[in-house]
Amino acid sequence: MDFFDCNAAYGVPSVPPFKPATAVEDLLEEMAWCGIARALVRHAALDNESPQTGNRVVVEETAPHASLHPTWAILPTQTGELGALEEFLAAMREAGVRALWAFPSKHRYTLDAVTCGDVLSALSERRIPLFIQRGETSRGLTGWELAGALLKEFPSLVLVVTGHGSWGEDRYFRPLVEAYEGLHVDTSRYELDGGIVDFCRKYGPGRLLFGSAFPNTSPGGAMLTLAHADISDEDRLLIAAGNLDRLLAEAQP
Amino acid sequence: MTNDSPLVAEFFATGKAADCPVIDCHAHYGPFQAIYFPKVTPEAMIDSRDRAGVRCVICSGHAALVDPARGNAEMADVVRRFPERFRAYMALNPNYPDNLREELARFDELGGFVGLKFLSDYHRYPITGEAYTPAYEFAQERELPILMHTWGGSAYDSPQQVAEVASRYPTIPILMGHSGHGDWEGAMRTALDHPRVYLELCAAYAVHGVVETFCQRVGSERVLFGTDLPWFDPHYGIGCVLQSRITDQDRHNILHRNAEGLFAGKLP
Ligand SMILES: [Zn+2]
Repeated sequence: MDFFDCNAAYGVPSVPPFKPATAVEDLLEEMAWCGIARALVRHAALDNESPQTGNRVVVEETAPHASLHPTWAILPTQTGELGALEEFLAAMREAGVRALWAFPSKHRYTLDAVTCGDVLSALSERRIPLFIQRGETSRGLTGWELAGALLKEFPSLVLVVTGHGSWGEDRYFRPLVEAYEGLHVDTSRYELDGGIVDFCRKYGPGRLLFGSAFPNTSPGGAMLTLAHADISDEDRLLIAAGNLDRLLAEAQP
Repeated sequence: MTNDSPLVAEFFATGKAADCPVIDCHAHYGPFQAIYFPKVTPEAMIDSRDRAGVRCVICSGHAALVDPARGNAEMADVVRRFPERFRAYMALNPNYPDNLREELARFDELGGFVGLKFLSDYHRYPITGEAYTPAYEFAQERELPILMHTWGGSAYDSPQQVAEVASRYPTIPILMGHSGHGDWEGAMRTALDHPRVYLELCAAYAVHGVVETFCQRVGSERVLFGTDLPWFDPHYGIGCVLQSRITDQDRHNILHRNAEGLFAGKLP
């Protein structure tokens, strides 16, 4: 089965996970061990040091590996650190980057229309997926409430919320899935017994993306759960890789 | 996959393994305030387990964790209806000391119970507290396992508090539910110092590297498998154990052999 991991990282975070993956080889070794063919990757420097560093290093280090697809972080354009918006998008095209992250709490900005309107409008128009971790906070909102506020302002944004808590969160995210067609959820911690099946019956497989949350989380759990979820093989392949392939193909930086 | 274990290959190919009949030592039953469960009936739980080759679960009812008087009877009824597939822990709430004694008094009469379950973090009452004494004496007399919810840094059920209990009652098998989640060093220390303390993996399995570290430092003979079903898909926890850097021997110990030994004669 072709697994395309939407949520993998490596590098040296200031507080290491239990078993760190500091080098790109550590990530590749784990992917080989588990049988994950491809991964959308961010470098720990992206949120721990600076986007300037993380954006640069991940492209350099993943370049030799066709199985690894680099991701970057956005910043507000007003301070100009990542260049003007057009320059940033051009650099994305150049580097083959097709998905972005927002870390509003770690990078200390407000993720809303006033601060990020130009960036978020461009991402919406160009169908560039924006990833955000469930634990990020902005404008006093966290997780699904932040995702809901963002999608209310940018209803056509392709937003992927990763690593939702193992405490079930369906009561939070299902209403947003119904309201906004761009909302996607990664399966790294969608451990709920029967969750994937139940979700697919109601919403189809299109909004779920296989993710590992490696190196914080052991990839084997999300893999075996998806491999044997009681859904059609067609739906399984979409969640494992097809949905992410489609999102990246639609992205036009 | 460079993980070349035959057991792993069989689980990934078929969802289960013929010679690895999993025993889930930490499960629940019934709806719960904080979470939507798609598969909450005993029949639905059995379906999930059949898909993952889980032979038996040992459950505490969610209702029993709040109101033992009602919930333990409900749980015992499930075991009566499905004797080949369910066993139970009697849940005790130390905030109601009279009820705690009453529940212990009907342990045999209700039937189906193979241990006790403490949820001290939720009850906000420490496992070292006086109200638990009748339960510890009961467990000690019968060498009855106690599954404790444990969490790193908790004021109620930290690994250090488990060590204190284990020193006082060295013959009681204590299952550290969630392995003192987050305080992995503390949990391993407690297990190493107290031979009857077990590391139970529910939720802990998801933390990359924890399973293999437990096996290296404490030994797979002291690690037990649990899922919090109907919370977590059994395949999730099993997948984490399978993809850990451990031997198939370790995987068998964790997924069923240790539980077979610990609950010998009490499981279907
Ligand atoms: Zn539990």
